[in-house]
Amino acid sequence: MIAEIGHYALVLALLLAFIQGVLPIAGVRLRDNALAGTGEPLAIAQFCFVALSFAALTACYVTSDFSVFNVFQNSHSAMPLLYKFTSVWGNHEGSMLLWVLILAFFGALVALFGGNLPAALRASVLGVQAWIAISFLLFVLLTSNPFVRLAPAPFEGRDLNPLLQDIGLALHPPFLYLGYVGFSIAFAFAVAALIEGRIDAAWARWVRPWTLAAWIFLTLGIALGSYWAYYELGWGGWWFWDPVENASFLPWLSGTALLHSAVVMEKREALKVWTILLAILTFSLSLVGTFLVRSGVLTSVHAFATDPARGVFILTILIVFIGGALALYAWRAPLLRQGGVFAPISREGALVFNNLFLTVACATVFIGTLYPLALEALTGDKISVGAPFFNATFIPLALPLLFAMPFGPLLAWKRGDLYGAAQRLIAAFAIAILVGAATAALTKGGAILAPFAIGLAVFVMAGALTDVVERAQLFRQPWPVAWRRLVGLPRSAFGTALAHFALGVTLIGIVCESYFTAERISTIRPGDTVAISGYEISFDGLVARQGPNYREVSGKLIVRRNGDVVGMLTPGKRTFPARGNSTSEAALLTRGFSQIYVSLGDPNPDGSAAMRIYHKPMVLLIWLGALLMAGGGLLSLSDRRLRVGAPKPAKKTALQPAQ
Amino acid sequence: MTLWLVLFLMTAAAIFAVLWPLSRHGAVRRSGSDIAVYRDQLAEIERDLAAGLIGAAEAEAARVEVSRRLLAAAGTSGVHAQGVDRPRALWHRRVAALAALVLMPAGAAVLYLMLGSPFLAGAPFAGRQDVPFEQRSIESMVAQVESHLEKNPQDGRGWEVLAPVYMRLGRFEDAVKARRNAVRLLGATPAREADLGEALAAAANGIVTAEAKAAFDRALAGDRDNVKAQYFAGLAAEQDGRAADAARIWRTLLQTAPVNAGYRTLIEDSLARVDSGAAAPNPGADDIAAAESLSPKQRAEFVRGMVERLAARLKSDGSDAEAWLRLVRAYLVLGEAEQARSAARDARNAVAGDAEKIKRLDDGLRRLGIEG
Amino acid sequence: MAMTRKQRRLILIGTGLGVLAIAALLVLTALKDSIVFFNSPTDIVEKHVKPGSRIRVGGLVQPGSIVRNNLDARFEITDGKTEIKVSYHGILPDLFREGQGVVAEGVLTDSRNFVADTVLAKHDENYMPKEVADALKKQGHWKDDYGKAPREGEARK
Repeated sequence: MIAEIGHYALVLALLLAFIQGVLPIAGVRLRDNALAGTGEPLAIAQFCFVALSFAALTACYVTSDFSVFNVFQNSHSAMPLLYKFTSVWGNHEGSMLLWVLILAFFGALVALFGGNLPAALRASVLGVQAWIAISFLLFVLLTSNPFVRLAPAPFEGRDLNPLLQDIGLALHPPFLYLGYVGFSIAFAFAVAALIEGRIDAAWARWVRPWTLAAWIFLTLGIALGSYWAYYELGWGGWWFWDPVENASFLPWLSGTALLHSAVVMEKREALKVWTILLAILTFSLSLVGTFLVRSGVLTSVHAFATDPARGVFILTILIVFIGGALALYAWRAPLLRQGGVFAPISREGALVFNNLFLTVACATVFIGTLYPLALEALTGDKISVGAPFFNATFIPLALPLLFAMPFGPLLAWKRGDLYGAAQRLIAAFAIAILVGAATAALTKGGAILAPFAIGLAVFVMAGALTDVVERAQLFRQPWPVAWRRLVGLPRSAFGTALAHFALGVTLIGIVCESYFTAERISTIRPGDTVAISGYEISFDGLVARQGPNYREVSGKLIVRRNGDVVGMLTPGKRTFPARGNSTSEAALLTRGFSQIYVSLGDPNPDGSAAMRIYHKPMVLLIWLGALLMAGGGLLSLSDRRLRVGAPKPAKKTALQPAQ
Repeated sequence: MTLWLVLFLMTAAAIFAVLWPLSRHGAVRRSGSDIAVYRDQLAEIERDLAAGLIGAAEAEAARVEVSRRLLAAAGTSGVHAQGVDRPRALWHRRVAALAALVLMPAGAAVLYLMLGSPFLAGAPFAGRQDVPFEQRSIESMVAQVESHLEKNPQDGRGWEVLAPVYMRLGRFEDAVKARRNAVRLLGATPAREADLGEALAAAANGIVTAEAKAAFDRALAGDRDNVKAQYFAGLAAEQDGRAADAARIWRTLLQTAPVNAGYRTLIEDSLARVDSGAAAPNPGADDIAAAESLSPKQRAEFVRGMVERLAARLKSDGSDAEAWLRLVRAYLVLGEAEQARSAARDARNAVAGDAEKIKRLDDGLRRLGIEG
Repeated sequence: MAMTRKQRRLILIGTGLGVLAIAALLVLTALKDSIVFFNSPTDIVEKHVKPGSRIRVGGLVQPGSIVRNNLDARFEITDGKTEIKVSYHGILPDLFREGQGVVAEGVLTDSRNFVADTVLAKHDENYMPKEVADALKKQGHWKDDYGKAPREGEARK
């Protein structure tokens, strides 16, 4: 019965979305308050029904109700409870339901916390949001229905793909979707504004917190996905330029550009046309990502769905929404008034520079991701575009951006003083040179590029600190004054500095991981010792173990440094009989920000085993940087300036949360 | 019944979500405006100026800009801010209410009845553990024993119970695994060895492979009178082309068998087969008659000749999947694994166009132990 | 140095076009140098793919062809018609098995021998690398159950 309740709730949500797609916008057109006001209760109701539906599916998973085809295919009664939860979205149908749930969630958030928006804009945004909801609810119900039933119910399920039986999976897709789908709000804002034909600085102020929230989630989602791939796939890599990874990276790049251009629009009412376009493009890239992953056109780690009907359906959604929005844009955008003027060297100029490089970099990644598909469609040749392509195109475009980054915040609006900014960055530059030189000295004979890259990362970090120091005038004013100024700085200033600093942190991690990783691949017999980067790792032998729904053979390795035991590693190989396949469980030993990484190959009959052993210096900084970046975003989001604009009855302000 | 009640209540809640806002006649709703944003921007400029974050000239310029926006916004706000409540607007709401009351439940009902399965009860796993024993399907019982063995792979008795069920279900590979485990965990007895051999032969599509033969030999070494092992030893001899040996073994078996033994018919039939002379690669009766009168060495050559003829025929017309399987099996019996494999490859190429045949071929090959 | 609006716009557009041109150049050179073509064993023989160039080969692992010696592995990739001998040093992926789909990336030493530096296997029993599936289809060895999860027992009331 629970499954049927969930199914019906989804149907009701679809019909509510139909009504929500018509009434509020009609209300705005007809100037009817009551009609326009239907948007909020409808959005909340739609969310409640989708949530009910999702809860029902979760209940089916938790109780292992194999009369639901989706549960039968992706679950197993012996699976640990946690994975019964996570396998709800560890498959195509369930993850699309999660997608729709998050879409409805954002709609409900706008309804609940969009009090600072003019009623007409809010109504239009909710209306546009409902159109997206309609198309995806139809997609789920008609092509990817998780509530299809089986009669009679099979006794046992087929188990979840073991690669996905992992806590990384539990968190990665929800965060990623919160990011992807969060950009739908920016899209809805853009389309609503184009329909209304009125776009001004206030619009940017309203759209910024939503964009920022989506960006934070997307950042976390990508970082989680990268860490999951790092330790679960057993290759020690953290980014493969896999099309699915690119699919999440594309909206991140354009979303980052959108964040920055919206600042210009809010402050100076410039770049209006561009910002609206970016808002449309960012969500379009989210849709493209959904299409790439969900239609099965790609061959990759994530391809767990292959069904042409779905591909065509999403493609249609894609064309309708992107095409429709762009047509509306082409029609309406020329009507927009010119905004404020600025000199090329200015804060605006710097942000344009940022946008230019981010979008061009985004375009190269887009080409690299879709070129193989296009080529195959046109000529039938099958090619793969791998890391070398992206390294050769993305990195040269990222470097100028990183180098320019510390300058941006130091330039004044309208007309900046590049020379003055450079002077203030001298200290940062000196530190960067010193650290770069020290790196070069310490790693003599190593890669030539590494010290430069480290220097650049340090420059980015020191530059971010310089920004804060300069604003507070830390070393120019007496301490008490400087302290007061520091405390008085808006939180968004700290947020910006933290996020920029974090990018430097990530960069250090990336450079160290790529240039200084030590690797040993060899067959090791029990009792053998392998030396790597000053550690001695000795192999104690293999142990077999029975897990809840798998068998595991794991190696036991003792890690010593200068004779002292610093830890134990137990890389394993799990065999899942229900699906007849196996996974490697890499073992990690964290020392500071560095890690020793061991993954087990095939054990031999004589008790020896092939192993990959890596020492990855500073590797954790990659994800720590991403966390800090998200933290910077959160700090900015908590800035009161992003929330004002609503009439302020005292009791209401408490209700205006981070979104 | 409960389901329908719940669905009804859900529909009612959805209708309420539409009707409720429509009933709020011009109620005051929260609403922001761009004017508030620009006022705040002005305040921010003052704050930044006071904090010394921007200079006086910059502040002045910014103030002018924002003020200009404020004026523009104030000018248009009358048009855009709110609609008005007009009596003639009532028809909008009537239409909307009608949509909510009629179209939504109707649409939901139609769509749900198309897609849903309201008459299917849920079947949570926990609830199904209590189903009476007799009502469970063999598959479900097997699954249960399997999951038990998954956790207790050292339970030899469990494997021994499971093995015959696998045999009956035709899951011969699994049966082999189960028999092996039983031998390993409970110790080798002639009976278990013979059972293992039987499973191995079944998994090889009835061919007594070298491995199966070894198992039967071990069984006979422990118990010369083991019926199953004797029968299969005869079959092995037949498949090796030693029809006379096969006949001798089976005759002995018949002589010692109780008069009412159930397996008598099987052995009599087998005996009749070798006596009338059917050798391994299914040749014509004339060939067999000819083969009878030959020495073992000549016979082997003769069999080889037949195989070659079959191969030649298939080369010119390769559309018969079963004939291909026979050829592959013949090579295997002759101990020529490499030939068998290459024949399997040729077979695939030959029947490539026909999905049905490919499937039959692949199934057969898999049973012969040649992976597709 | 007050600039007119037009000049500013020209600078903006000029920079934009400049960056785009650089990016286009990067993309074109990178596409020329760093893409890898996928071939089936039959393609390699029929198209006379030159030894020395970097390619991907996909097909099924020929049963019985795997020879392992510690970390050195040799095996054959077949599409049912042609076989290519592959040698590889390193740890093979978890799901590398006889008769399963596999994609190897590396360099051809001569028309039938291939040195792989990367070996990708399928990730679960329902999944077959798309290129391999296409190549097999072309040779007529496609079994439909590779492509999709079996749907037996799917029933609605």
